[in-house]
Parts: sequence; structure tokens; C-alpha cells
Amino acid sequence: MKDIKVETIIRISLALIFILFLGRTSIEKAVDNIDIFHIGEYLIDFEDDSGYRIKLDKPATRIISLYPAHTQNLFSLGLNNEIIGVSSSDVYPVKVLDKKSYSYNSNPTRIIEARPDLVLIRPSFETEKTNFVRILKRAGINVVSLYPNKFEEYDDYIIKIGMLTGRKNTANKLLKKFHNDIKQIESQATYIKDKVGVYFESSDVGYKTFTKDSVMIKAIELAGGINVASNACPIEKELPRAHYGINKILYKREKIDIYLSLRGKRGAGGNHHSIMARSKFKDISAIENDKVYEINYNLVEPTFKYIRGIKELRRIFYPEVFDDISMYNSEEIITREEAAEIYVKKAHKRIFVPSSRYFREEHEDHTYGFFEDVSENHPRFDFIETAVHLGYIDGYEEDGVEYFYPQKGISRDEFAEAIFLISDFEVKEKHIEIKDIKQIDNKKIVQILVDNNIFKLEEGYFKPDKLVTGEEAVSTLNKINGD
Amino acid sequence: MKKMIIALMCPLLVSMLGGCATQTGGKPGKRAILVTSFGTSYPDTRKITIEATENRFRDEFPDYDVVRAFTSQMIIDILKERDNIEVFNVKEGLEHLKKEEYSEVIVQPLHIMNGAEYDELVEQTEEYEEFFTSLKISKPLLTSVEDYTETVEALNKQIPELEENEAVVFMGHGTHHHANAAYAALEYTFHDLGHKNVFVGTVEGYPMIESVQARLEENNIEKVILMPFMIVAGDHASNDMAGDDEESWKTILKKQGYEVECYLHGLGENKAIQDIYLKHAYQTIESNGEHSEE
Repeated sequence: MKDIKVETIIRISLALIFILFLGRTSIEKAVDNIDIFHIGEYLIDFEDDSGYRIKLDKPATRIISLYPAHTQNLFSLGLNNEIIGVSSSDVYPVKVLDKKSYSYNSNPTRIIEARPDLVLIRPSFETEKTNFVRILKRAGINVVSLYPNKFEEYDDYIIKIGMLTGRKNTANKLLKKFHNDIKQIESQATYIKDKVGVYFESSDVGYKTFTKDSVMIKAIELAGGINVASNACPIEKELPRAHYGINKILYKREKIDIYLSLRGKRGAGGNHHSIMARSKFKDISAIENDKVYEINYNLVEPTFKYIRGIKELRRIFYPEVFDDISMYNSEEIITREEAAEIYVKKAHKRIFVPSSRYFREEHEDHTYGFFEDVSENHPRFDFIETAVHLGYIDGYEEDGVEYFYPQKGISRDEFAEAIFLISDFEVKEKHIEIKDIKQIDNKKIVQILVDNNIFKLEEGYFKPDKLVTGEEAVSTLNKINGD
Repeated sequence: MKKMIIALMCPLLVSMLGGCATQTGGKPGKRAILVTSFGTSYPDTRKITIEATENRFRDEFPDYDVVRAFTSQMIIDILKERDNIEVFNVKEGLEHLKKEEYSEVIVQPLHIMNGAEYDELVEQTEEYEEFFTSLKISKPLLTSVEDYTETVEALNKQIPELEENEAVVFMGHGTHHHANAAYAALEYTFHDLGHKNVFVGTVEGYPMIESVQARLEENNIEKVILMPFMIVAGDHASNDMAGDDEESWKTILKKQGYEVECYLHGLGENKAIQDIYLKHAYQTIESNGEHSEE
């Protein structure tokens, strides 16, 4: 009798565990905003970044985000159906392309007609577009303005978005991972010997930078750089922008090893071409040594993509450490995803960040983010997208769906094409005979590379289908002048 | 008494006539050339292409004041907002010349062909005819048969000696306008004048890069030099032609196994091309018609 009872209890317990396991997402969702210490009258009650008190008795379910960073954070919190509209400059994540887009320059009635219960804006909209915001508020819509002007306000900002949307616990979980990633990045700073001095241009009108405690400047410091403009004066109406001016820049000319410019939105910094052409800038170290780099604003905004931004900055500041490919020097076959990383690092190419214009145009072979088997959370997402964008490696299309097959190997034929694109090679007058030339897809390319001594033949054979090992990839790439 | 009346009337009549002249035709002998181009927001490129050409006009036509106008409002806006540089659009340029009482005005486009932008320029200029004693619109680069041969000769100055297996490919903009045929005609002229390994393609019109690839293949070409066939080597030249992404002409050709070199200088830098524009302005000044293209 006793035995049966124990068995039944075990069975019931197992069934319960199984049911709980099946329903884990719904349960998680239901308890996401539960705060055991909460005693207020409203479920959500805080002051937004424009100083207005926000009171909501339930989380928002029809959200319009008018700022790209807010949109990305909403998606990171696991929201999708709840997001009914985004801003016209939103391009991340790819799912935003299916959303209706709104602009604070258009008629606010369009937003009112969409019946949102929450509209997320930046505090600067509140001051610049007073009427627009007022009309929305008068229509009974909760307009909340948020933006962390300082890095130390980042967590608070994410938590507030979490509270508004019923995802407070998810927000905490994401923040925990975020801070772990930052700690890991900080621990890797020991690889850096001589720190570089960096000037970060936020706008080329009046040579502005960012305030010393901003999210953007913190990215430079986390990437191991020194902000040379730490004494810049904050511009109250344009935070986190700060005044610096040409004289101060020129005064620091010897300390500016890297000149970084924010790109990708209106009123941002100059491009490489225009900065190099500034006649007064010619004595700045970074200009003398052609160390002018552009960084897309999406990579240094307060979103979870920030970690990728810091990693990109590290590659810019210390390519000898962070673009090093020697760790792949093994006898193992390299995979396509590893090859993507190796190519981009060897060529020192910046990761590809598409603009809204990119998505308005048709792309014949591949569209950013469309690989079925490479999600945006894939650890090598940026390297894969960049290598494909640069034509170093091609994807596959099957029945209208794009695949990358990250774990497959790379043939010598494919490898030759990538090498030919990464560097420049001369057509030689005399050709070395390749016995299996007929089996090669990239005949001309392979012939030039063999003639240039980049590839060795095995008894006269190129063996185009043979898969490339890490050792072969690294030693072959070291023969070309990418560095 | 009569004499006195005449003496009193004379200055009055003269001033009235003078007043009429300013109303309808500007001050006699006040001449200007409105050099009109698409424009560019890159300061260094602007200096060596558009500004250099404008300066040639200043040197060649000392009796004329040279005034700049851009047709791209977007570029005008960027320059104003970013660099605090004011540039006229065509209407503003003509308005300025009217206000400053110029009587003889030549509008010299720095456009490549008689395309959509040129049509618009003609339309905008015609509205101002009544305000000047003489208002003439000069020709773009490629108009007459002679223009084509002279353009080929001018471009030949920037083309190195080519081996059998080497080719130069010019990248033009291309247009939906019927003037697009000019690109194929230019390539034809190159071949007629003995430059067999020079080909012309466009970004947005015909011939496209695919046609160019076919020509390269037929002629057993192994090395290609890409050159912009645009006044300014701007975004199209640095991205669509010489960019690193898979859709640029450089990458497309490299993927086919060609050795590719890029020449990043706009036509505006070529003195012989500038000469053709100067010649067009001379012809326009000497012509009797309202529009030199007629």
C-alpha cells in the first residue's frame, strides 16, 4: 500500500513538472512584472525623463516607439505583437520592416487613429515638437519620454521600459547578462598595452562631441580608448552632445590617435572623406596617419547592441589584438561562419550596418538579416552579414528562403574567390599550368593566385573541392597584403 | 524758353529711359555667366572640379562675372546647414542677376547631356527672358557630333597606354530620358577613333554592367581600369563604382577574375573637358539665337 502511494506521488509530481515545463513561457510572461515589494496605488508609477509623472494601472499592449533605441529594446524584451508602430528611421531588428512607421514630422492624428496605449519618445522631442506631443497627450495617449544621458542611467532606462510593458523581470535578466558581458570585455583589456587617444565627433556642425559620462564615451573607454575631450561642455538642449570646437581639437592634435565620427543619422558627424579633407585638420595625428573611422550610431546607443559596438571599437583601436586570426591556425577544417570572421578580420573591414535606404532598395542576392539559419543573436551574425555584403562568401537560396549553412566547410575554389577580393593581384604574363583547371569554377581567379604564388599546387593539381583547414586559411591569408 | 524746357526735359527723359532699361534689360555692358552644375557636398572634390571649371570661365571671360548655381536642392541645403555656405539654385541665381541689373546673361550647364536636368534648366531659364537684354542657354558636354569626338580626345588624355588585354570602362549615371542614347554613342565614337578597348556603362540606364561584362569577355580582357564618366567623383564613383560591397562594379568584375584598378577623378578635373565647356560658352556668346541648341 505504502509503495503504491509513493509511486502515485512521484507520478503526480512528474506530471506537474511536465505541465509547468510546457507552460513555462506563459507563466513567465504572467509573473514578469510581479514586484513583491510593490505597494503603490498604480501598478506602474514613475517620473519620466521630461519630469512628468507616469501612472499606468496595467502594462501597455499597443505601443508606438518613435525612437530606434526604444524600438530595439522593446524587441529585446521579447515584445513583438504589442509593438504596433515604429519610427521611420527604424531598421532593427529585421521584424520592424513589417511594422507601420510613424514620424514626429507627420500629422499626429495618424498616431491617434492607430489607438496606441503608449507612445515612447525622447525628451528632446518633448521640447522640439511641443505641439505634436501635446496633441497626443490631449487625446489621452500615454506619451513617455525616456533617454539615459549618462551611462549610469542605462539600467534605470531599461527597467522603466520593462515596467511599462510588463517585462520588468526580463529587463533585469537582460541587464544581468549585459553587465556580465561588460565585465568580460573589461577583463580582456589586459591585452592592451598602449592606450589610444580618441576624439568622438557627434556632429560636424560646430565640431561637437559627447559628454564625458555619456553612453557613447563610455563605449570608447570600455573598448580601451582614452577620451581626449573629457572637458567638453554639455549642451543642455542636445544632450548627450557636448561643445568642443576646432581650437580645442587642434590643441589636442598630438593626442588624437583615432578620430571617430558618429554616422547614420541626420546632423551627425562627417564622413571619412570630408574629415580627411578639412585643411585645418592636417596636423592631427589621426588625420596624418589616416586613422579616421566612422561608427554607426546604432552601435553606441543604449541598446543591447552596445556590446557589439564596443567590440567593433576595440577592432578599430587595437587591430593587432582584436583582428588577430592566429587562433584559427589548426588542422581542423574551418567552417563557413569561422571563415566569415577570418575574412572580415584579415581585411580589417568595419561590420556592415544597413541604413533605412538599404532596405528601400532591392537586393538581388541577399538581404541583411534574411538568413533562415543565422539569427541576430548568432555570435558571428555581424561577421557573416559583413562577409556576405562584401561578396567574400555567398549564401544559398532554396525555394525562396535564404540559408547560410554556418557549419559547412569552405572549398579551395570558394576560398580563392575571397582572397582575390580581399587584396589586389596582378595578372601575370606567364601562366603556371593547372592540370584540373576544367573542374574549377573561378578559373581566372585561381590562375592569377597560382601565378602569384598564393596557392601551391599538389603535383600540378589545384584540387578545387578540397576543404580548407584553419592552418591553410591562416598561412595563405598571411601571404597577402591585407595588413 | 523753348531751350530751357528742352534743357529741363532732357535729364528727365534720360532718367525715364534709364529707368525703363533697368526694368526690362539690366544695365548695358553688365554681363554674367551662370555656371550651373548638379553640385557636390564634398569640399575638396568641389574645389578641383566645379570650382576649377568656374575659375577657367573667370580667366577666359574677363568681361563676364561668373556666378555659381547648383541644381540639387538637397546639396544646397546640406551646404547651408553644415558648412554655412550659400549656393543659389537656378531660380535664385537668375533672380540675383536680375536684381543686380545684369543685361547679358549666359547660362552654362556643366551637365553631361541634354537630359532631364537640362530640360528643367531650359524651362526655368525661359521664365526670365524678359528681364535681360540677352539671356542665352549654352550646351552641355555631349550635343553635336563634334562634341563626341572632342570628348573622346579629352578622355584619351586621362587613359594610359592600354595593352591588348587591358580595358578602360567608364561609368556614367544613366537616365530614363531619351538622351540616354548618348552613352552608347560615346562608346561607338571611341571605337571609331581607334580606341577599341574603351567601354561605357551606366548605373541607372543602358548599357548596364552586364553589357560591359559581355564586351570585356568578347575582347579577352584581363585587366580593367574603372573611371567615372561624371563631372564629380562623388558617391556614385566611390560607392557604386569603387566600393567594396558585392554590388559595386569593382567587386562584380573582380568576382569574374579581372584585375581591377579604380581612377577616382571626375571629368571636371580634366582640363580638356573644361575646354569643351568654354568652347560651348564662346559659341553661345557668338550665336544670334536665343538658345544655342536651336
